[in-house]
Amino acid sequence: MVLLWQNMTTSPLLTVSGISKAFGRLAAIEDVSFRVEPGEILGLIGPNGAGKTTLFECLAGVLPPTRGQLYTAADQPLDGDARSSLIFYVPDGIRPYPDQPLGWVLDFAVGFFGGHADNLRRVIDSLQLAPLLKQRIGVLSKGQAKRALLAFGLLTPQPILMIDEPFEGLDLKQTREAAATLREHANGGRTLFLSIHQIADAARVCDRLVLLSGGRIRGEGTAAELVSRSGATDLEGAFLALT
Amino acid sequence: MQWLLAKEWRELWSARAWWLMLIVTGPLVGLSFINAVQMYAELSGLNGTAVGVGEAFSPLVGVWAPTFSAYELVAAFLFPFVVIRLVGGDRQNGALKLEMQQRISPFARVGAKALVLLTAWLVAMLPLVIAGLLWKSYGGSTYAPELATIALGHVLNASLTIALGAAAAAVAEHPSTAAIITLSVTVGTWVISFIAALQGGWWELVAAFTPPALVAQFQHGLIRLDVTLSTLALTTFGLILAALWLRIGVPAQRRLVESIATLGTVALMIGACAMARASWDASENRQNSFSEPDEAALRSITTPLHIEAHFAMEDSRRAELERMALVKLRRIMPRLTVTYASQTSVGLYEQNTEHYGEIIYTLGSKRDTSRIVTAEGVLETIYGLAGVTPGVERDDEIFRGHPLAVPPRHAGVMFFGVWPAAIAGAWFVRYRRQA
Repeated sequence: MVLLWQNMTTSPLLTVSGISKAFGRLAAIEDVSFRVEPGEILGLIGPNGAGKTTLFECLAGVLPPTRGQLYTAADQPLDGDARSSLIFYVPDGIRPYPDQPLGWVLDFAVGFFGGHADNLRRVIDSLQLAPLLKQRIGVLSKGQAKRALLAFGLLTPQPILMIDEPFEGLDLKQTREAAATLREHANGGRTLFLSIHQIADAARVCDRLVLLSGGRIRGEGTAAELVSRSGATDLEGAFLALT
Repeated sequence: MQWLLAKEWRELWSARAWWLMLIVTGPLVGLSFINAVQMYAELSGLNGTAVGVGEAFSPLVGVWAPTFSAYELVAAFLFPFVVIRLVGGDRQNGALKLEMQQRISPFARVGAKALVLLTAWLVAMLPLVIAGLLWKSYGGSTYAPELATIALGHVLNASLTIALGAAAAAVAEHPSTAAIITLSVTVGTWVISFIAALQGGWWELVAAFTPPALVAQFQHGLIRLDVTLSTLALTTFGLILAALWLRIGVPAQRRLVESIATLGTVALMIGACAMARASWDASENRQNSFSEPDEAALRSITTPLHIEAHFAMEDSRRAELERMALVKLRRIMPRLTVTYASQTSVGLYEQNTEHYGEIIYTLGSKRDTSRIVTAEGVLETIYGLAGVTPGVERDDEIFRGHPLAVPPRHAGVMFFGVWPAAIAGAWFVRYRRQA
């Protein structure tokens, strides 16, 4: 994993430079900069209120940042259509298309966003959604709805997939299965950027981590690097030491 | 785009607000239709009442205008909720955050919603087909151009509702706020009409472009280019506003500036539209036109005509003068100018004021005064000033009316029974299939 990371450091897929977002006088995130490497699973970790969702929404263009810029691998500023071509973001806590059956919603994800129809069966099977395809999204349980959202994101074609809290509402078994599915997609060449508040989940799934606290970057690197830098003995200790 | 349309269509048919509106529309139209046909029949001599009064009756005025008026209620109080559901729902459930990441212009997204909502409105107009079939089964007469005109008026009114609801749903954070905004604007247009009726002047000018005035003109079989173009411009403005504010990734300040710029552009467009003079009278009884010989005589008068009428806003003679003569005169004499002079809105205490009640005509250097407010009286004065003699109207050109002394048979069953049952049944089947 480290070798993979080292090979990729020369050409980041996405460079985040100096992103800030303020709501009135409240600075939600300040001068956030980091890089996203191709094919990696990058984790965004931080305590509640650290600004993880705000950062994701600014990167996805859902929320206008106060300052800062994204750059492509070719060092070109990333805006508008170019951003839509590169990044897809799956927010947490949404229940889109509540009156539509899951099967149709997944077809829509492929058709509307131009995803690969060949992936559809694989994603449905890997997230065990087959028995739910005729169910309306609105009647799904929290965990089922989360798996449906994960499937929606995985069916989109953008090279970078950002998912806010991918394991929220999933039990241990489902978390492990979802993590395996995400790893499978990353191995297939897709870059995943996940916001995770459970440190253990983040350590298990992610190749590298960005630690955000108080709206600022407190650390970036592999779990081992963060632990080493903080002087702690494990990632949880590093998390507590750095935030 | 195909997927977007399919999604909006599915969302519409999933909306309970839409099904409820469909169910309620039938009885509303039925109530209007039954009352209108019953009155039409009585005035035509049914049960021996008022025989002969209805001989000059036009189905447009007697039946279709009141029947279609049910859609004014639907457009004001029911349809906005369907619009807000379709436009604001995406924001509420998070679908907007997903869809805005696709490279589709926000204008295309709003356009797709508007297209689906307009189709929804046409579906909601289906009870009118039932009314039409019933009317034909009674032996009633129909005149396609006037029916098409009144239908066009209500479609334009619906398009305004779509634009208003879409803009409100896009700007407001929550559907309930959007509903309050929409209803406030609707009530606001009524207030404008009310003030216009009391104050006249600029209020009257503005009131001519409100939805009630728009619908009233079409219900009389009149298509005015200025009103039609202004309605389309306002509709476009509302949809653009919706598209601008659905871009939640754009700073609010920038959206606000763009909205103000759009408002300025549309205001200029409406100003330009208001100068359009063309109009078409699609009514079978030519209720917005003089007879053809009179129109030919009036066209031959090229000197600008000015009319100064000394009537207060609420003086019934003013309304009669407008309805019977000036509306028709403006259509045929584009260089006509009209001013009203009065010191009060009621006119009650002005009766003894010098000149009150007079209509002063100025044609070039010639001047005449009259107190007659009928079309014949107005024309006679103008012809006298211009030295013009109109031709005689041919007997076959005179509208003789279509009296029909038939009660609204089976209408109650159709509108209060069959329609709601059919819609409720379709809703149930769809719900079962989805469940």
